[in-house]
Amino acid sequence: MTKKLLEVQDILVNFGGVTALNKVNLHVNEGEIAALIGPNGAGKTTVFNIVTGYYTPTSGNVIVDGESVLGLRPYKIARKGLGRTFQNIRLFGDMTAVENVATAADSLNKSGLVGSLFGVPRSRRDETASMEKAHELLKFIGLDHRALQMAKNLPYGDQRRLEIARALALNPKVLLLDEPAAGFNPQEKVELGQLIRKIRDRGFAVLLIEHDMSLVMDISDRVSVLDFGQKIAEGNPGEIQNNQRVIDAYLGVAEDAS
Amino acid sequence: MTKTTKSSFNLRTKFGDWWEGANSAQRTIFRVVLIGLFFALPMLNNPIINTPETSFYSVLFYPLIMFSLMAVGLNVVVGKSGILDLGYVAFFAIGAYTQAVFSNRTSLNFWETLPFAMGFAMLAGVILGLPALRLRGDYLAIITLGFGEIVRIVAVNTEAIGGSSGLTDIEGPTAIFGMEFTVNDPRPYYWLTLTMLLLVIWGVIRLSHRKPGRAWEAIREDEDVAEFMGVATLKYKLWAFIIGGAVGGLAGAIYASQIRSIQPELFTLNLSIMILACVVFGGMGNIWGVILGAVILGYIPEKLRFLSDYRIVFFGLLMVVMMNIRPNGLLPRQKREKFQEKSK
Repeated sequence: MTKKLLEVQDILVNFGGVTALNKVNLHVNEGEIAALIGPNGAGKTTVFNIVTGYYTPTSGNVIVDGESVLGLRPYKIARKGLGRTFQNIRLFGDMTAVENVATAADSLNKSGLVGSLFGVPRSRRDETASMEKAHELLKFIGLDHRALQMAKNLPYGDQRRLEIARALALNPKVLLLDEPAAGFNPQEKVELGQLIRKIRDRGFAVLLIEHDMSLVMDISDRVSVLDFGQKIAEGNPGEIQNNQRVIDAYLGVAEDAS
Repeated sequence: MTKTTKSSFNLRTKFGDWWEGANSAQRTIFRVVLIGLFFALPMLNNPIINTPETSFYSVLFYPLIMFSLMAVGLNVVVGKSGILDLGYVAFFAIGAYTQAVFSNRTSLNFWETLPFAMGFAMLAGVILGLPALRLRGDYLAIITLGFGEIVRIVAVNTEAIGGSSGLTDIEGPTAIFGMEFTVNDPRPYYWLTLTMLLLVIWGVIRLSHRKPGRAWEAIREDEDVAEFMGVATLKYKLWAFIIGGAVGGLAGAIYASQIRSIQPELFTLNLSIMILACVVFGGMGNIWGVILGAVILGYIPEKLRFLSDYRIVFFGLLMVVMMNIRPNGLLPRQKREKFQEKSK
């Protein structure tokens, strides 16, 4: 049986009187690219905010690699293996690209401030390790030539990819991508698809929120569909494309679409 | 530092280029000359930099070097971590009062008391920080403002530490390296503070270039995202408070031992605002910038004494004009970017 790296169990979220998520169940298997789709406002980003600990659900449970992370502070959940990107890019603008990635890499070592001040051997080792890892990830993502530029000065596409590199620095068990293809042209979308596959092949499971259906259907192993806070379908891309409820709620009827 | 201080944007880049290309011998020479110049400052009886109506030695000690030290401490909190602290004077007051009380009540000398002064200020940082740092932005600023006032008001109302008349007969430091600390000569205090300032700068720069510096910057840039990236934000904000507090306490202790008697009125909100102004005016987040800001804001009112009461008007006007010309401060924080060719 495949191992479930992330499980969202019966998550119920009420914001005031509004039910943002109604008993949603999701999971991400080891070595898989899972996708989460649905109309705007369906609750996709809320799922990310729940699993990363930003919101606490009204009821339900979140399990990362067999361990419940419910109620943990976001930084602890991040260290347990969830790295995320953001729908609207949120980099550390006044830091260089490599510092952005190193900041996330830092959080996996235990070096403290006093050790850094006096330069104890462990802190030196951790410092080198963080920087090397950051450079290696930038290379992996194809941004090594941007390492010493400020994040805010990077072109849009590079900023999106830098966010992915930063999330990967956490050695995530599951990488959560929130609309990574937003604002990309078709060529860039193809490259992004290849990159996500490359990330999966490197051993990271991926949970993808995306509106670009050709990308989703192309790279996903499994697709879940949210509508008004309810999961209305789940299956492989072929099943989802032919699911009547999904077509009604989200995909619509193909008229002139390719 | 001084070379870049008065410089325009361009000169700064040129200096950066030179510094980057310089070998370690050249850098060492530059550092030694610069530090030597600052140590020699009280010896240079220069009519241009002298202050006409106040003793230049006194001005060098307070406000110039004291402001610089405090500004560097506050910069860790405000400039590096982006936490607006309107009550920094509290740490200064705690350091000063610790020095005064220990001097009056115990047989410990200045050097033995110093760790306590810094320690109590750090403790105050934790006590204030633990509840306050869970809040953000405006709310946090108001809490720090309140904290600054609380410390002063407690001092006014506690007879055991002199109440509103404060404490007198504070001992100066015992002689060290052949340097005597007398009442009449502020110069040794200037040298002492300068030495401490150099140590603090060394420490802050080291931290800035390593894990803690990155964590602080990440918190300043986007606290939520820092947390999502595994940064223990509360811990690092607390550390910023502790370090800022320690530096404030250090400054307070030296200050108390120099002026020999302290009263609560020395530690008003005005001083917090002044130090914050140094940080903002000089360039938040850039250690050289905030020192320049402290020196200029400390120096100008002294130089303008011939205007008598109008000097404050002039001083205010200057700040308004300067902040319009350089809204990010005289020397804003700036990283040197490098552009490389894409390797295939």
